[in-house]
Amino acid sequence: MNEVTSALARAGLLTPVQREHWAIAWISTVDHKRIGILYMVTALFFFVIGGIEAMLIRLQLAVPHNALLSPDTYNMVFTMHGTTMIFLVAMPVLFGLANYFVPLQIGARDMAFPRLNAFSFWLVPFGGLLLHFSFLAGGAPAVGWFAYAPLSEMPYSSQPGVNYWALALLVLGIGSVGTSINLITTVLTQRAKNMTLRRLPLFSWMMFVNSFLVILALPVLNAALVMLLIDRLLNAHFFLPPGGGSAIMWQHIFWAFGHPEVYIVAIPAFGILSEVIPVFARKPIFGYEFVAGSTVAIAFLSLLVWAHHMFTVGLGHTVDLFFVASSMLIAIPTGVKVLAWSATLVGGRIRLDTPMLFCVAALIQFLVAGLTGVSLAVAALDWQTKNSYYLVAHFHFVFVGLIVFAILGALHYWFPKMSGRMLSERLGKWTFWLMTIGFNLTFITQHFLGLAGMPRRVYTYADLPGWGWMNMVSTVGAFFMAAASLIFVWNLAASLLRGKPAGDNPWSAWTLEWATTSPPPQENFLRLPPIRNRRPLWDDANPDRPDPLVGTKWKADIFAPEKNKTAVIVFIISEAAFFGVLILAYLFYNATPQPGPSAHNLSLLKTGLFSLCLFASSFTIWRSERSLSQGRRRAMQGWLATTILLGVVFIAGQGLEYWTLFRSGVSVSSNLFATTFFTVTGFHGLHVCVGLIALLIVLGLMLAGDFKRRPSPALKAVGLYWHFVDLVWVVVFSTIYLLPHLR
Amino acid sequence: MTTGQFLISGWTWSAAVFLFSAAVLALYLFMFRVGRRIGYLAAALGVVLVTLISPLNALADGYLFSAHMLQHILLLLVVPALLLLSLPRSLSLATRPRVFGHPLVGWVAGVGAMWFWHAPALCNAAVSSRPVHALQTVSLLLLGSLFWRQVLAPRENERLSPPGAILYLFSACVTCSALGIIITFSPVTICSIYAMPPVDSLDMLPTIRASWGITPERDQQIGGLLMWVPMCLIYLSAIIAQIARWFAEPVVPATETT
Repeated sequence: MNEVTSALARAGLLTPVQREHWAIAWISTVDHKRIGILYMVTALFFFVIGGIEAMLIRLQLAVPHNALLSPDTYNMVFTMHGTTMIFLVAMPVLFGLANYFVPLQIGARDMAFPRLNAFSFWLVPFGGLLLHFSFLAGGAPAVGWFAYAPLSEMPYSSQPGVNYWALALLVLGIGSVGTSINLITTVLTQRAKNMTLRRLPLFSWMMFVNSFLVILALPVLNAALVMLLIDRLLNAHFFLPPGGGSAIMWQHIFWAFGHPEVYIVAIPAFGILSEVIPVFARKPIFGYEFVAGSTVAIAFLSLLVWAHHMFTVGLGHTVDLFFVASSMLIAIPTGVKVLAWSATLVGGRIRLDTPMLFCVAALIQFLVAGLTGVSLAVAALDWQTKNSYYLVAHFHFVFVGLIVFAILGALHYWFPKMSGRMLSERLGKWTFWLMTIGFNLTFITQHFLGLAGMPRRVYTYADLPGWGWMNMVSTVGAFFMAAASLIFVWNLAASLLRGKPAGDNPWSAWTLEWATTSPPPQENFLRLPPIRNRRPLWDDANPDRPDPLVGTKWKADIFAPEKNKTAVIVFIISEAAFFGVLILAYLFYNATPQPGPSAHNLSLLKTGLFSLCLFASSFTIWRSERSLSQGRRRAMQGWLATTILLGVVFIAGQGLEYWTLFRSGVSVSSNLFATTFFTVTGFHGLHVCVGLIALLIVLGLMLAGDFKRRPSPALKAVGLYWHFVDLVWVVVFSTIYLLPHLR
Repeated sequence: MTTGQFLISGWTWSAAVFLFSAAVLALYLFMFRVGRRIGYLAAALGVVLVTLISPLNALADGYLFSAHMLQHILLLLVVPALLLLSLPRSLSLATRPRVFGHPLVGWVAGVGAMWFWHAPALCNAAVSSRPVHALQTVSLLLLGSLFWRQVLAPRENERLSPPGAILYLFSACVTCSALGIIITFSPVTICSIYAMPPVDSLDMLPTIRASWGITPERDQQIGGLLMWVPMCLIYLSAIIAQIARWFAEPVVPATETT
């Protein structure tokens, strides 16, 4: 350990005092660079676990009629492999890279909220622990990474594995939303002067766009997970057909998250390609505007096309037709990107160092993945190949062929910046070739296995013509990849200790992260070069022929709002997505009346009166803000206390309503109405309580003499959140209480 | 009536529509003369005629919910957008009261027009009652104009900034999609008059049900999907146009300072 700490100290990552207490220094850090490294180390740890699971799968399938793993174990292993690789490897490593490099690329001192950043990170190991704890608690989940209902429901998976799975994903989802709120706020509010939005390096731009996708998509998953948990733990009826629930509903909600999720991990990979390819082709990127703009189109379309995961469910030809068409449209903006990268390569002085090798391979493999993707968008072909190894091959070409390759490219590219030392180029080439050969052996073969009819998620198979040798080839390929991974880890460790010193800018790159020392000092930059366009370091090195100026005509270019307000607005957007799903589910499930309790058991008048209290509190908190900005602190405290009182009265009213219902024997398991009613109002009540706690903290700080500075961002931010909670109640009250009386 | 006969005889020769179109054309020529932008006006009037004269209107008039939805989208999103594009670039739309120029008003107008007219009672009333139908048509054009002026106002300074416009369009799309999703998957009929047309004046019902194969359930599904997917693509096109607008700033010679 001593050698590692001294290597880290040499790399400038530890000050002398911190070297003494290195463990605490890492655990308690709020520095974005260290948190970035923690993310990546955690992801590497889980990559090893997920990789071992992958090897188990491939060993089991190497020969027909194999009995290495029992069917149940096999189900657990592939479920854990998928979940781990997506939620504990791909997302953390990409967030780690974003954490480290977005602030550097935009010339910031740190993320907007360093402590939120640390919190979001520590949720990852916590979530990973929860997920893997299921092994000790009676068996890991064995339902596949998308946990289709009703298999994931209590009657069919009575072990607690699925509970741990859902809780872990919930924890990880909250962490991802936290990081994304932080990234959006950082890009909007912490940019260096002159780093306008249109001058952002493409990696930062894409992480910025991507973060919007995260705050919209992850809450959808969170809603699905809480519904599943309520089903499993409280005997509710969301996804269980016997109680009137709908298993298809799970698929809709899951894929409404699941499809954007593909792009949540792919868009950062696009960002990496857009950084690395120009640097190693020694040309500015071809069509910056098109690469940046097509990202927005991809993000938008990805939210629109989830039903193509459900062609075989039986939604009907009409539905399928619309989603065939819209899914194919995604090929246009991704095609634009592929063209832009290829055009960047054309005529460039290409240097094939390891980062570039990985990125070029990623580009080619992504092209293959895109082509099989378009083929799968054709419903007729999808019907034939659904749940076969053709599909497995397709999405591994996306997840490994594009994303893992891009990540490896990024790690080779940015490792010198993070450690101050170069990775061994010789070992890097070994990693690359073993990885590329192994990957293509494994997954090109699987396309043909799928077309030959082999279904996915079978623990073994009969000795049908061709299946045996193709599976064997696939397994051999997997071992190549494992070897490549071992060499890569060895390279990381050896180079950290004995690598060649990197210098500030070993690749002669052009973005701001290379304008500081490697690794950067605590405060990131001692001075920033002038920023006039997208390649400030090019201008610095070539003052006689600088890049053209990227102007600041738009007010939006220099848009830099107040950070607390920004973060709360972004948070509200993600909360709106969460409530949106719950309310849509309420409408869907209550479209036809159920036997048992219904909206007519509710007391419209009483709840209406309590609702007035909540609506009034929006007014009082506005008065409170006004009083503060006018400097009348006593009045402000009075209005704030009134707001809290009104909120408490509302919660008491909700409690009364619940109590009345419980007394008449209505509980969350009574019927679908009760299930949806308690879920929607319960989560709203929870949010009111959180708002009350926030208001109490503000009031407490105020009474203790804080906020002497007049415009208090804290009260404004909490106030915005409070208005949002009231607005949600307007919608919930109209939907649940008023709508039934209109019919 | 067979499909062929319907395509020949299904036209609604409404004097009001022709008079309206002619009046708009005359007013435009009187105010702005013939310019390059008159093409947009011609397109707008063309879409109006297709929407309200062609057999599409006959289908929307009591036969098919999906045809009604197509009309709705064309009148709310396509015609007003083309009309705004046809205006000369120097024309100011700043009006009193200034509240019409507020983005929130525009957003609520565009999104509200979708939700409001698809409340079951209103959706039925718009088919069964002539005055309500006329009111709906006019209101869609007006509300659509209010919505689009935030993005397509002739004067640059009266539009939202590109990132603001992107958020404006995106949130409108999500809110309309939500309604489209509800309509697509709702087990209840949104607009019951289409499920059981009270009169079959053109004798088209057997053709629609049998040879076109459109059952009331499928009809509603197509309607919901039209609102969910193609309508979002209209917003997406507008978003792409906004990105282009943002990035299209002319390149300034490098000698200028920041």
